[in-house]
Amino acid sequence: MADKQVMKRAKYKSSVKDPGVAGVLKLNIERFVFMPNDPKASTKLNVEFRMITGHKFTKEGSSKQALLNLTQEQGGNYIFEFDSFADRDVCREFVAAAIAFHSEAGKATTENSAALVNSEQLSRAETERRIKLLQENSELQRLHRQFVFGGILTDAEFWATRKKLLDQNDNRRPKQRVALKNEMWTVKPLSDGQSNRVTFNLTPEIIHQIFAEKPAVRQAYLSFVPNKMTEKEFWTKYSRAEYLHSTKNVVAAAAEAAEDEELAVFLKRDDMLANEARRKIRRVDPTVDMEADEGDDYIHLPDHGLFQNETKDVLESQYEPYRRSFSQDLNQHAAVVLQGRLVDVELGDPRSVAEALSRTKQAEVSDEISNRNLEKELSDRISRIAEIEDLQGPRDPAVAPLSIKDPRDYFDSQQANAVKALGDAGSGAKPLKSSVSPREAYGSLTDLVSDIRVMGLSEPIMNPEVALKVLNGLTQSISSTKFHLGKNPRESVLDSLPKVTKEELLHHWTSVQELLKHFWSSYPITTKYLYTKVTRLKDAMSQVYPKLQEIKESVQSDFRHQVSLLVHPMLQALDAAFAHYDADVQKRSAKSGERFNGFG
Amino acid sequence: MPQVRIVARNFMDMVASLPALKLDKLYENSFICEAILRSLPSLAKKYVLQLLYIDGPVTAKWLEEWVLPDGVSKHKAAVDRLVQLRILTETVERKKEATYLFNSTFQRNLQKHIVHGGVLPRESMPSNITVRLPSLEELDAYAVQQWEFFLLHLINSAEAEKSTNISSSMMKVFQRGLLSQRDDKEPPKLTESGFQFLLMDTNAQLWYIVREYISNCEEVGVDTADLISFLLELSFHVTGKAYNLNTLSDRQRSITKDLADLGLVKLQQGRKESWFIPTKLATNLSISLADSTSRKQGFVVVETNFRMYAYSTSKLHCEILRLFSRIEYQLPNLIVCAINKESLYKAFQNGITADQASIATLHNGKIHLFFFQTCKMQIISFLQQNAHPRVAERTPTVPENVTDQMRLWESDLNRVEMVPAHFYDEFPSKDVFEAACDFAREYGGLLWENPKKMRIVVKAEIFTQMKEFLRKQKQ
Amino acid sequence: MTPVSSKLYTDDVSLLMVLIDTNPFFWNSVKSTLAFSTFLSNVLAFLNSILLLNQLNQVVVIATGYNSCDYIFDSSDSQSQTQRVEQMLQKLEEFVDKDESLGREDSVDGPGFSLLSGSLSMALCYIQRVFRSGPLHPQPRILCLHGSPDGPGQYVAVMNSIFSAQRSMVPIDSCVLGAQHSAFLQQASYITGGVYLKPQLLDGLFQYLATVFATDLHSRAFLQLPKPAGVDFRASCFCHKNTIDMGYICSVCLSIFCKHQKKCSTCGSVFGQAQTQDSSTPDRKRKTPLDA
Repeated sequence: MADKQVMKRAKYKSSVKDPGVAGVLKLNIERFVFMPNDPKASTKLNVEFRMITGHKFTKEGSSKQALLNLTQEQGGNYIFEFDSFADRDVCREFVAAAIAFHSEAGKATTENSAALVNSEQLSRAETERRIKLLQENSELQRLHRQFVFGGILTDAEFWATRKKLLDQNDNRRPKQRVALKNEMWTVKPLSDGQSNRVTFNLTPEIIHQIFAEKPAVRQAYLSFVPNKMTEKEFWTKYSRAEYLHSTKNVVAAAAEAAEDEELAVFLKRDDMLANEARRKIRRVDPTVDMEADEGDDYIHLPDHGLFQNETKDVLESQYEPYRRSFSQDLNQHAAVVLQGRLVDVELGDPRSVAEALSRTKQAEVSDEISNRNLEKELSDRISRIAEIEDLQGPRDPAVAPLSIKDPRDYFDSQQANAVKALGDAGSGAKPLKSSVSPREAYGSLTDLVSDIRVMGLSEPIMNPEVALKVLNGLTQSISSTKFHLGKNPRESVLDSLPKVTKEELLHHWTSVQELLKHFWSSYPITTKYLYTKVTRLKDAMSQVYPKLQEIKESVQSDFRHQVSLLVHPMLQALDAAFAHYDADVQKRSAKSGERFNGFG
Repeated sequence: MPQVRIVARNFMDMVASLPALKLDKLYENSFICEAILRSLPSLAKKYVLQLLYIDGPVTAKWLEEWVLPDGVSKHKAAVDRLVQLRILTETVERKKEATYLFNSTFQRNLQKHIVHGGVLPRESMPSNITVRLPSLEELDAYAVQQWEFFLLHLINSAEAEKSTNISSSMMKVFQRGLLSQRDDKEPPKLTESGFQFLLMDTNAQLWYIVREYISNCEEVGVDTADLISFLLELSFHVTGKAYNLNTLSDRQRSITKDLADLGLVKLQQGRKESWFIPTKLATNLSISLADSTSRKQGFVVVETNFRMYAYSTSKLHCEILRLFSRIEYQLPNLIVCAINKESLYKAFQNGITADQASIATLHNGKIHLFFFQTCKMQIISFLQQNAHPRVAERTPTVPENVTDQMRLWESDLNRVEMVPAHFYDEFPSKDVFEAACDFAREYGGLLWENPKKMRIVVKAEIFTQMKEFLRKQKQ
Repeated sequence: MTPVSSKLYTDDVSLLMVLIDTNPFFWNSVKSTLAFSTFLSNVLAFLNSILLLNQLNQVVVIATGYNSCDYIFDSSDSQSQTQRVEQMLQKLEEFVDKDESLGREDSVDGPGFSLLSGSLSMALCYIQRVFRSGPLHPQPRILCLHGSPDGPGQYVAVMNSIFSAQRSMVPIDSCVLGAQHSAFLQQASYITGGVYLKPQLLDGLFQYLATVFATDLHSRAFLQLPKPAGVDFRASCFCHKNTIDMGYICSVCLSIFCKHQKKCSTCGSVFGQAQTQDSSTPDRKRKTPLDA
């Protein structure tokens, strides 16, 4: 549908009398475009279909011109004259479809009722999704064409029952996003070996990573640059700090930090990180994980199993804030990588990156603060776990046992027919109503068993003539059932029908279902909108009857019975709908005697 | 001559190929009837049962009526097999309707069987005479060990630690077709058949060996029918029970000795008497051969990273795995190996050796026959059949990426498609050549042409038409 | 050439659960047409032939008695083939004695019912155990050799067994020996995809068994087996026993009624009020008449 386009030769006229400008009219689902043959002419048109509210056209046959008149929302209209009625009709149909496609929003607003119709303008993405669905599913497309273009359902109504389908399709949309690099940015100073200069390479990617992993640096950047220092100064300072860290000389770092306030920011432990960590710890589930096993235990390993290469010197407490452990860095890096790329900003500008990151962090924090439920849930869970199962009374499921007074009813209701159908000859001659004492009956049974124990099996088991007779009988019955039921015993009746009939039946079945779905969902009728919808549906349904009758008559007499069996349930369902409709109309008219007509 | 292929299931072909008189005589033994019945395809079994009490001929239609379109080929195979084994005799009458007559000896034996139940071929010895009979587990272990030792000896006599009692001439017979040796200096190499043989399951291997054994005996002048009936009879003995050797004829006793080397029976000697104890291998002989496999426990775990862990202490397993993988570690009860391209290529090369693709020159000097045989990979089925119970429950038992990769590697080697064809040369004139080309093209059989040298290659299937055509051209 | 036996287990290895009807009152009533001993020898021969076809085949026999049911034979238990018949007959005698001792009635009218639901459940339990024994197991099927009429009181239990058989893909074959058709077994075979057959010539019972019921599940894919011409599964209402096409169904116990009820007569659930139906007088002019 989406890529369908119609192109026809036509004349654009400002009024019916106007001789018009010859040109080419191009239609697609979004818009129509008119290009005059004379490129200099100024009557180019490019109008979106959602601006068009209706269309009129001249009747075929008379000596009239083949005209198509598109009415615009604001009043004006576009008149086109076509070379032939055939051309016109093609365009007319397309226009009708396109208008139907775009008009729900408009209709909903003009009807100003509390219609259930989606009143918001359809986004382009939404439209595309629908079109895609229609393209993928030919059956859906057929239904859509039949009902929406046929004017029985509006597009919105049609899709309203298929929200799930649309959503499903929607879920597939999010594309894979590139995460941050999995590599830790470790400072590898590039020293040229001659001078004492140490160079660091910073790329936008790395800056992004630094900002994501080190909120304090980000904060510092936002507050220092460019008021206090230039970008270059900032990064130089940062690099200096990193360099100091890499030398692992805590004492030297502390000394430098004391001198330079700004440098201290980088060297000290990141307070924001610490805060965040505390917050996270608060959210940790305090209950014991009963499913955890030895494999989850890493506590017994020193430093989580990482090789510790830092000096184990006992440091004075004043240097404590300047120490940074490798595992801290590693954890923070891992957390950031796992979080994925939170912001989609151009990497070029460090400032915008920093700001965006801060924003997302803040949003997270505020989310959490507002989300008191979480804590409640946690405490709930604790109390739930805390109760000791052994001490609890048995929890009775709220189920009432099913009491069936007499299962024999089921038997009578279902099985009696089945036996009847076999034309049981034996059922007439019921076994003799002989009353036997159990002793006698069991006695004879035991006798027979012991007979066989003594005598062995009777030999031969079977007379060859009897065997032949049985085999013959069975073979004959097989060949006769083969004839009746076709080759495959599991074949359904549908498969035996001609292909056209089968498809038609299936189509009618789906369309009847669609109509009924909409019909029943419109009850109870509370608005005028629903009322008109039901009327439309009812008319459409009444047209199904003759069609089904037609199918029935079109098939050969051998199949007619089977077809009518298949059609029967459809008719019954339609009948039920009509019965309901009539009853409803009666009730309504009875009420309207008391009140005024209809829906206030 | 192209080599005889190893088909594990064709023991019954051999029975079927026996002359009619011998076959009829075989059917007098009820055990043979039973074993033959079990070896039939499932449809054929059903037909036998169905006709068990029918005297006189039955028209083919009576059987055909029951067959669904899907089953036509199976039906044909089943009936063909029955006719081949002379269980049914087919007569086509003038009205063109075939009728089948059930072999009365066969019928009588089976009728007797279903009424009286099976009878044992001979009474087992009372337990007061036989002492220290092995338990069933011990017996199984004995059978497996014996069989593996035999196989190891078969494929690689150097590897085997102790020599077997089987005479070297007998061993040669078994090795025939499985191993090839270009000259005495080189160690013998596995042929394609040998390769396939090793990857077959034990029952199939057993039948192959037994078949070779029988045909060897035939060469020495033993009546095959006797031998077959003794072997089948043996399979109806109860596993683990002792049977007196004195109940056997001299020939049977000597056969029993050979069978003991294969692990089919265990021989024991008491104070006065000596007896044989059939193992599971022997009783498995009569297992339905049509589609048979044993239910042995597997030992191989294949990982998605192409590593293979084989929980096995068997040297034979190690040798088999070495055929297509690289052994990395060998622990007392575990073999760790890896499948890679090189190891598989080695295996494929074993599979297709130069001997197997034979090019024969035939007919009036102008026509050559191209004949190739392709190798089919059996490694995957070997891995599947021997999957460790832990992975056997899973589907697929062998990771898909591994099987796919193995198939890809194989198809790498099979990039050439073989079409039997005839090569035509030395056409008398350009016209004849072109006419021949057109003719072949019309029949869709032209594979290659060279107008300059006037040569064409034409599919073998239109050989007769082509010959006819060329003869007409000559006139 | 196909790879040598890619299947791990032969296709036609079967586990056949045979349910034999040992209701003494039934057998007493058919004494003249089919003696129990004749029946037994036919069945025993059939079991022997099943075991003959493949040595991995397994047969389990369950006796369906009047008061109880029990396993009377399991081919996986017995070692020797010769004692098979003897073993089973002995067990059967013991079973009949036990079944008699459980009875309380002084006399029973007509053939009485046998405990089909019980033996079906036992068969299914056995099959479940086989299913759980590992990946390699024989293909199970159930064969009911049944003569007693259907016991309406067993309806729910029998239907439950049938559905569980359907779920575990176990076909139930039925061979009806009595004068009447059995609606239970007909339903059972229809739902589970088994064969329902009522032999016309009881003398040739073995031929029926060997021709139809010996067919293993693998071969059934290639063969046409007897099939009843058509089964009418339409229901009739509980209130008037009328056959109906559309009706009301209790959502709790699935009872069927032709008219709206206030309360379910079977399980006592109270129904809500139907909304508009009472006042409706369908106006049939609106649509084109169909079946005119």
